[in-house]
Parts: sequence; C-alpha cells; structure tokens
Amino acid sequence: MRGLFRWSRKWWPGLIPLAVLWGLAAWYETVPMEQNLAAATAAALKNDVLDKTRIDVAGRDVTFSADAFSEEGRRSAVTSVEGVPGVRLVNDRTRLVPEAKPYVWTAQRDVVRVTLSGSTPLPAIKARLADAAKAALNGVEVVDHTGFARGAPSRFDAAVLLLIEQVARLKEGKVTLSDKAVSLSGMARELGGREAIWASLRNLPEGYSVAANDIAAPPYVFQANKDPVGGTLTLSGYVPDNKVHAALVAAAERKFFGEKVTDNLKASIGAPKGFAEMVTRALGALSRLSTGSLEVADREVKLSGDALFDGAANQIRQSLAKDLPEGWKAKTEISVKPAAAPVDASVCQRLFSEVLGQGRIRFESGSATINADSAGLLDRLAEIALRCPAAGIEIIGHTDGDGDAAANQALSEARAKAVADYLVKAGLPADRFKTSGQGSSVPVADNSTEEGKAKNRRIDFLVR
Amino acid sequence: MTAFLTFHWGWLTGAALLGLAMGWISVVQHGEGLSKKVARIVALVVVVIVGVAVARVVPGRPGYWLDLGLVMFAAYLIGCAIGSALRDRLVARQMAAGRIPVRTDPPGPAA
Repeated sequence: MRGLFRWSRKWWPGLIPLAVLWGLAAWYETVPMEQNLAAATAAALKNDVLDKTRIDVAGRDVTFSADAFSEEGRRSAVTSVEGVPGVRLVNDRTRLVPEAKPYVWTAQRDVVRVTLSGSTPLPAIKARLADAAKAALNGVEVVDHTGFARGAPSRFDAAVLLLIEQVARLKEGKVTLSDKAVSLSGMARELGGREAIWASLRNLPEGYSVAANDIAAPPYVFQANKDPVGGTLTLSGYVPDNKVHAALVAAAERKFFGEKVTDNLKASIGAPKGFAEMVTRALGALSRLSTGSLEVADREVKLSGDALFDGAANQIRQSLAKDLPEGWKAKTEISVKPAAAPVDASVCQRLFSEVLGQGRIRFESGSATINADSAGLLDRLAEIALRCPAAGIEIIGHTDGDGDAAANQALSEARAKAVADYLVKAGLPADRFKTSGQGSSVPVADNSTEEGKAKNRRIDFLVR
Repeated sequence: MTAFLTFHWGWLTGAALLGLAMGWISVVQHGEGLSKKVARIVALVVVVIVGVAVARVVPGRPGYWLDLGLVMFAAYLIGCAIGSALRDRLVARQMAAGRIPVRTDPPGPAA
C-alpha cells in the first residue's frame, strides 16, 4: 500500500493524454448520447397519453414538456422519464390540459367541407370522432381543428357521434354541443331531413337536451298545372304518403271533369300540417279556372290563372283565403278570361249537353247541397249561360229509382233549384231560369245497376 | 450509471489502458513525483469536483462532461494502480532471481 502511494505521485503525467482523451470523448459522444437518451425517453413514454410532448436533451439532463389529461397521467409520465437509464436530471415542464367551461364542440358544414372545432377530451376520442365524420360524410372533406380540454360531460363521445350523423343530413349548417345542450342550424339536404334529425335527437344520451333546432328543409312543393289546350292536369311534386297520394288524385279526377290527370307525384315525408286538406281546397279553386297553375311550397299556396267570369274570380279569391289552417298563407293572382263571343240558343243547348256529357253535378248524398267538387263544372255551365243572354233556361232535376217517388220528386226539384241558385249567385239574372223536378220518372239508363243509377241522378239544362 | 458505463466503455477502456501504462512506468521511473503538499491539494480538488458532480450542480452538457471526465479519471486511476502493482510484482520477482543487481528507483523517505 505504501508503494501505491509512492507510485501514485508519479502518475500525474498520464493526466495530459487523459485530458486529450476526455476532450475527444466529449467531442464525439455528446450528440450521439443525447440522441440515444431522447430515443429511450420517447420509447418510455409510448404508453402515456399526452399532448404536445417535447423532449429536449442536454448532456444527460432531459427537459420534458407535455400536456397531460389527468394529474395521475402526468405523474406517471414524469416517473417514466425519470426511469430512463442514463438520465441524470428531469426538468419537469409538464402541465395538465386546460379545463374548458362550457365544454364546446362544433361541426360546421358548408358546400365542400366539414370543419370540426372546439374541444375533445382525449386523443383516442378525437381520432374516433374524426374517423366517424369521414365515414358519415362519405367523400366530403373533413377538417379537424379540435383541440384538447378537460371537463367533457359524461358520454360526450356518444353524443358527438350522434351529432355527426346529423351533420351528414345537412346541406349546410352548424351543429354545436355546449356542455349538454345541442344547437343546430342550417338547411337539411333532403325533404324530410329536418324530421329525421328531430327523430334522431331523441336518442341523445341521458341528460343531453336540444337548446335550439333551427334546421330548415328544402320547401315541400306540390304543383298542379291546368292546360285547357292539351286538356290535361299535371300534378307534380311531393305528397306525404300513398294514402294521401291516392286521395288527391281521386279528388283531382272528380274536380277536373274535362281534363286528363297526369300524375307525377312522389311520396316524401316532411309535409306541413294540413297539407292534404289545403291542397284539396286549392285543387278545387284551380278546377274553376279556365287555365291556371297551383303551387304549394311549404305553407304557402299560390294560385294563378284565368277565371271564367268576374263573379267566379271573386269567389275563388275569397274561398281560398277563408279559414286557412294555422300558419298557412294563400296568394292568388287571378284574372278573368275575356268573354267568349255570344251564341244563339241552339249553340248554347249543344254546349250545355257537351259539358254535362263530360261530367255531372254532384250533390251530397240524399240532399240538395251541391258537392264542392262540382264548382268547376257549374262555372262552365254559368259561362255558357252568359254567352246566350237572351235565352231562357229550364233546369230539370232527376233522381234514380231508389226510394219513395214523392221524396225523389221533392229531391229532384230541390236539386234543380240549388243549381239555379248557384247560377244566380254567379251573376246571372234569376228570371232566366225555371226549375222543375221529374223524380225518377225519366230514367236514361237501367235503374237496376249502380252505373245506371248514377247516370239517372242528373240535372238537365233545356234552353228555350 | 450502468447505462453510462456501457455507453462509454471504449473511452473508459482507453483511459484504463493509459493508466495501466502510466502505472507500469511509474514503478521504475526516476524522481520523486509530486510533493506531498501538491498531492494533498490535488486530492482535495478531486474531492471537491466529485462533490460537485454528485450534487448534480452543473447542468446540461457541462455536467455530462464533468461526469465523463471523472469516470475516465477513475478508470485511469484503477489502470494506474493495476499497472503499478503488476510492475512491482515483476520487479520483485526479478530482484529475487538476482537478475537486477541495482535498484533503479532510489529509496524515498518513509511515506
């Protein structure tokens, strides 16, 4: 041992080459070692859920900055870095992801893209939501600008997934989730989209509510066009279902006795309340026009065309505007067709016979009340009567063979009178008309069949 | 520390070999070497530097270089010790065989 001390006093000259070796080692090893430590640190943090992770190594010291999603996760990450072999000191610059209040998530859809913004609680959820958006919005660019924040309401991801489905139903608009309140605005892509969105929102997780739903849908349009030249009535647009579809086509066929009905209607949900009732009424008004078109868009009815005479024009305007269902509006642009040239009595008779051959005046069953479906036909009869102002007209009622003869007689008279009253109300002088009833005494067809009976229940016009 | 030694094993081996060579020479080298006083000062300086390194006072790269230097110095010292011991044993054996009549290293004062 004594020797060792003695010798050690002579070891100092080796320190000079040792210093050189030290310098070389520092020169060559510093950067590789730092890279090695950085790689080892990154590997150690592989299973830690962090955001904005940054690892700076100087010598053997690691400066570690990151946003953690919980205090526990933050501590665990720092421990992981401290445990990396070779690390001397850890400068802990970690912090918790900021807390958001209120917790807002937004999806904004315009024509070409969907932009997601606001907060998500975890990277896995952020990725899942972005993937879901891409899948739901097949082909539309999805730009994810969401950041991270703590404080998401429970079942946040389930609620947002549901909202993403609604974004897919929009043409343009914005869906916002603020804490547990959902707000929607914009335009649905399809008819019925608004209703579909409402229905889906009922499946929001418990505690979530709809604060505002201002989704508009494309207008629910129904159109009817009466073309007297082609003798057609063209129906187009939408009807709520097959039942309403059949009912409207049947009503059109009853009201438009001289026109062929072309049916281009399609069934779609999203009809406004009172649609069938209002369209039936408007079709009745259209049937009284010589030529015209009807457009129903959402709750607005627009009727334009030419009435057959002045009185009819006023009646149509008033009847359409009267007793509208709630929220409905009616707009009429009705002019009067120029009066046709006067004709003599025999031509009038022929015209009456022609028109009554095409359609018959309908009454409520067993009563003398004229059915609303016959308004168009009666307007045509009134127009003809106006063309031969000098001629007297006898209106004769007939019934079928069913029931008591006296009752049939009374009914036929009452019906003839009802028709005369209608024509007088239309502006014709009352003294031109004479009414009579023939009960079932003058049948024109066999009373033993339903078809024959229908033919026998009639009103004849006789020009004198 | 294991990771540190493993990563720098080449340089440490180099320092140890340098020490081995220096230790080998120092046994038969003429002269007194450092005086006791200087040796004490050197030992004190080394202790202070080791203290600084252990306390991890020097940050970043300089801190790393300090650690590296000290570890290399330690390897050097171990090399020196082994080198001297080996040479001393060899010299002792040769003296016993009478092959070296005169000792080249004059006896120093009792240390």
